[in-house]
Amino acid sequence: MIKLSQISKRYPNGHEALREVSFEIPAGEMVFLAGHSGAGKSTLFKLITRIEKPTSGQIFVDQKNITKLRVSKTPALRREIGVIFQDHKLLMDRTVFDNVALPLIVIGMPHEEIRKRVRAALGKVGLSGKESQKPITLSGGEQQRVGIARAVINRPNILLADEPTGNLDEALSDEIIDIFADFNQVGVTVLIATHDLRQVERLSKRTLHLENGELIGDYRPRKNEEHTSS
Amino acid sequence: MINYFARHIQVLLATIGDMVRSPIATINTILIIAITVLLPMLLYIVVKSAEQISGTWEGRPQISVFLQQDVSDHEAQLIYQEIQLHPTVELAEFVSAAQALEEFRLLTDSATLEQELDFIGGNPLPPSIVLMPSDDASNQAQLDELQNQLLKIEGIESIRLDLEWTQRFSAIVHVVVRVGTLLSSLLAIALILIVGNTIKLLIHNRRDEIEITKLVGGTDTFVRRPFLYYGALFGFMGASIALIFAFVAGALIAEPISQLSSLYQSQSLLYRLSVTEVAVSLGVGTLLGWISARWSVAQHLWKIRPR
Repeated sequence: MIKLSQISKRYPNGHEALREVSFEIPAGEMVFLAGHSGAGKSTLFKLITRIEKPTSGQIFVDQKNITKLRVSKTPALRREIGVIFQDHKLLMDRTVFDNVALPLIVIGMPHEEIRKRVRAALGKVGLSGKESQKPITLSGGEQQRVGIARAVINRPNILLADEPTGNLDEALSDEIIDIFADFNQVGVTVLIATHDLRQVERLSKRTLHLENGELIGDYRPRKNEEHTSS
Repeated sequence: MINYFARHIQVLLATIGDMVRSPIATINTILIIAITVLLPMLLYIVVKSAEQISGTWEGRPQISVFLQQDVSDHEAQLIYQEIQLHPTVELAEFVSAAQALEEFRLLTDSATLEQELDFIGGNPLPPSIVLMPSDDASNQAQLDELQNQLLKIEGIESIRLDLEWTQRFSAIVHVVVRVGTLLSSLLAIALILIVGNTIKLLIHNRRDEIEITKLVGGTDTFVRRPFLYYGALFGFMGASIALIFAFVAGALIAEPISQLSSLYQSQSLLYRLSVTEVAVSLGVGTLLGWISARWSVAQHLWKIRPR
């Protein structure tokens, strides 16, 4: 579903964020992306969502080479990918409903359909009945869930989450990660960037390890290997 | 297709909603636009009024030909016939000495006139012929030529061209039109800058929204649309307010103007905008607003993208 081949990214200021990174994530897999801050996790997400362009290498999303994607095609790519940001990127002066509905509004979906979908998405993340509140009145964990609801409202095949449990306590973090696991259960490809190794251990999923812009490890949990061998 | 229109109406309503939510800023902008539009509009009305007034003179010069006092009636008739047959004369009217005196009597209304006439010893007025040159012969050179030809006719004392006033007036109107056109162009540029700047501020205020909309797959067209509506609405409302101002101003000066026109025995001195002209004003306002928004968006929107 996502394939990177020999990806390097050097910013105009000379900072080399990624060096020759290659990996492949098949459809329906849930993968953690671990590493310290500054290891290149955010850059990787920006490349996949075409916020940045790679300096060299090839990126494939759903079999399509997006390395030379035209600017006019970027919106279509972003509609296929649901992204959750560490700083939520919510519109604080709009209601929860407006925030979650945004990806559907931009594709011009009829209002009735939008209402149904938003209600369903908010139900899925446990925020039923909060449609008309402003995100500013919600807790950090609740804001993160609004972000998740917005990311999944379009029923994307891919979910990217950048430090989704950043400022949350353990119980809340578990809940958030479990929401992602649920989406993975129904076939969505999930990639979560985190430095929260507790979650990595708890779910025992495949983990890519980035350090200083290089991919230094691609661990597949033993449990999975046992599954494949049996 | 219905969906497409529904989306546009949605954006239109949302934009009006945004405007209502910050009323002072909106009213300020609309008033500035209204005043900018008002000035050319008033100039246009003034020019149209002036053209209306000069139109009652049919814009054509009159030539008064005064005959020598001692020509006989028969000679006068011959001269009259000759002038009537002249190819560049469209209309000619003979005014005998007696008729001229009668007209003079009516106009002066002087009680002592008879005494004065007695004192002079009879009618001092010469017979005259008033003529109007044909439409295709009213430029200066042709008029001079006609004047020269007439002077050669025996029995003509003098010729007067009642032209200067008309010419001066239309020259003034021409200057006003030229200055007005120049001023209007400058004001149109000012309007584009004003609306453009307002849109620029709006874009910066909504930076987050633009960024996030682009992140979730909003196209540039989608992001741009509300700002274009903003510009068009600003232009439309500014032009509407300017029209209201113009009509109020017209109502305020209607009375003194009607006094003035009754003095000059003229029907209507003040030009009234037609429905078409009102529609054109609104259309031009909307278009200018839209163009300014388009220009501003092209300059500023592309800079805002997700980071």
